[in-house]
Amino acid sequence: MGRRGGTVFQWAIGLIFGFTALAVVLILSTLLFHPDWGRFVSLARDPEFRFAVLFSLGTTAVATAAAVLTGIPAAYFLARFDFPGKVAVASALELPIMLPPLVSGIALLIFFGPVLGGVLAKADWDIVFTYRGVIAAQWFVAVPFGIKVFRQAFETVDLRLENLARTLGYTPAKVFFRVTLRLTRRSLLGGATMVWARTLGEFGAVAMLAGITRMKTETLPAAIFLNISLGDVDFAIAAAVVMLLMAFALLMMLKVFMPGEHGQ
Amino acid sequence: MSGALLAVNALNVLVGTFRLHDVSFTMGGDEYLTVIGPTGCGKTLLLESLAGLRRVASGSVFFLGWELTRTPPEKRRFGYSCQDGLLYPFATVEENILFGARAQGLENDPAVRKRMGELVERMGIGGLLERRPGFLSGGEKQRVSLARAILTAPKLLLLDEPLSALDPCTRAEIRGLLRDLHSEGGMGVIHVTHDFSEALELGDSMAVMNAGRMERTGPSMDVFLKPETLFAARFLGGENIVKGMARWLSGEMWFDVGGGPVLGPLSGSLPEGAGSALIRAAHLRLSAGRGSASCPPNSWEAVVSDIVIGSARVDIYCQGGGRWQVGVSFSEWRSLGLSTGAPVTISVFPEDVHLLRD
Repeated sequence: MGRRGGTVFQWAIGLIFGFTALAVVLILSTLLFHPDWGRFVSLARDPEFRFAVLFSLGTTAVATAAAVLTGIPAAYFLARFDFPGKVAVASALELPIMLPPLVSGIALLIFFGPVLGGVLAKADWDIVFTYRGVIAAQWFVAVPFGIKVFRQAFETVDLRLENLARTLGYTPAKVFFRVTLRLTRRSLLGGATMVWARTLGEFGAVAMLAGITRMKTETLPAAIFLNISLGDVDFAIAAAVVMLLMAFALLMMLKVFMPGEHGQ
Repeated sequence: MSGALLAVNALNVLVGTFRLHDVSFTMGGDEYLTVIGPTGCGKTLLLESLAGLRRVASGSVFFLGWELTRTPPEKRRFGYSCQDGLLYPFATVEENILFGARAQGLENDPAVRKRMGELVERMGIGGLLERRPGFLSGGEKQRVSLARAILTAPKLLLLDEPLSALDPCTRAEIRGLLRDLHSEGGMGVIHVTHDFSEALELGDSMAVMNAGRMERTGPSMDVFLKPETLFAARFLGGENIVKGMARWLSGEMWFDVGGGPVLGPLSGSLPEGAGSALIRAAHLRLSAGRGSASCPPNSWEAVVSDIVIGSARVDIYCQGGGRWQVGVSFSEWRSLGLSTGAPVTISVFPEDVHLLRD
């Protein structure tokens, strides 16, 4: 509080902070104290559990890579160029952040079903109810986060550094790779971490587009949902704990990468 | 256009609502041109346009006879240095200096390495090569920035207020360095500044900008002493800008300062009627007492109202037919023996009275 005593306002916000922090920590810690740890260890050898963990890691890695590879150029374009209707386009790109994932899922299902389904089927590249659908849904809900964070990173770059590089002989592409990316590296890594976290936790849109099929499109959130519906609470809690630890690790990575996110 | 290093013709550049209007000038191969004007007048925009960083709406830029109007910046190969010695924070001093050479694939060229060695020694930054920009002073950053800009020996160096963020002592050092670098020859310099003393000290020629237009160009001392426009006279620190009436008498132009002296015959001309004129403080002559002037039309009586002792001269403010600032040397001031309230006679040679357009 800075000074001894403090005002009523300072005490009030201190108490609210304490209550909020306690509530969040208590709720999350129940996940760690509740499980039967013996069952937890045996689950590590359970094929379904192992599939869910590895499938989640694999699909989210691909979706994150895709979101980074599409999100960074899109964000750079938005940060550096003006065009008619830019505000509307930028808002549309951020829309999936605001939408309930189920709505995104319905849009994806229509797009890859009735709209593109025939073409994709002919190419033997079905999206709906396949692992590709899982990745597509994860990408769709995560890329707007990426664009938002990457764009903020590019907008903090002193444009004179990019212009200076042009006068020193760098083409626009070389300026991007040798100046802009180097200046924003930490923020972009932080953004990529946020994207990964978003893909990892995605359930609604994935369920709509790829379905929840055991050992086929079963991500960790899908495994939690499936097993809690079937009454295998230990399995669901074990999967939740794994997700909690993953999220914690990602958050730590975010704190390391993002400027100003180090905290105290 | 032959023989000119740079020829700019009726250049128009539009950025938002601001516009560079029909900017035209030429400069020779070894010329040091200073572009001077207040903040927001378009100096930096002009420099960026010359560097190829801004899209030109109309007009042309020729460099050594080649048109560069739409050539991208990376192909112009001009040296460029920004205010506050902008360096790449992720690179060491050495990497910063070699940053342009690297783009051209000359990073390990023996000739470039040799020149870098000579430059860093000359600029006193040899001991800083492994440091990051965050550990450099403002003057050191500016030296590194200059070394980077001239490493590949450009024929034209563009400087955007390179001294404005420095303390007076460092500024003097970098001024000396710029003079030295330019004196070697083979490189023209366009130096943007808002400090007319810097422009006078460094530039062979000077261009005064106002609201996107070039108000006056010419040899530095010529522009300083004869700014031609009211704006340029004010911006260049004109001490005595007086209002009066311009008149033709027997085919000669005279300027009547209302309630003050009548000045002339003058070499310049204005349309008859109300106008302005500039007399530099150093061009007014002062004698103690009244009525000692030998040339009545260009002399008048006044009383000393204030005396300000500066670092380089003494400014004596006088009241009589207006308020006048007279600059005298320390020895002259001592010999005049003046104090506040003393009667004086002020005189001026007609050739030192410069008529100003609005």
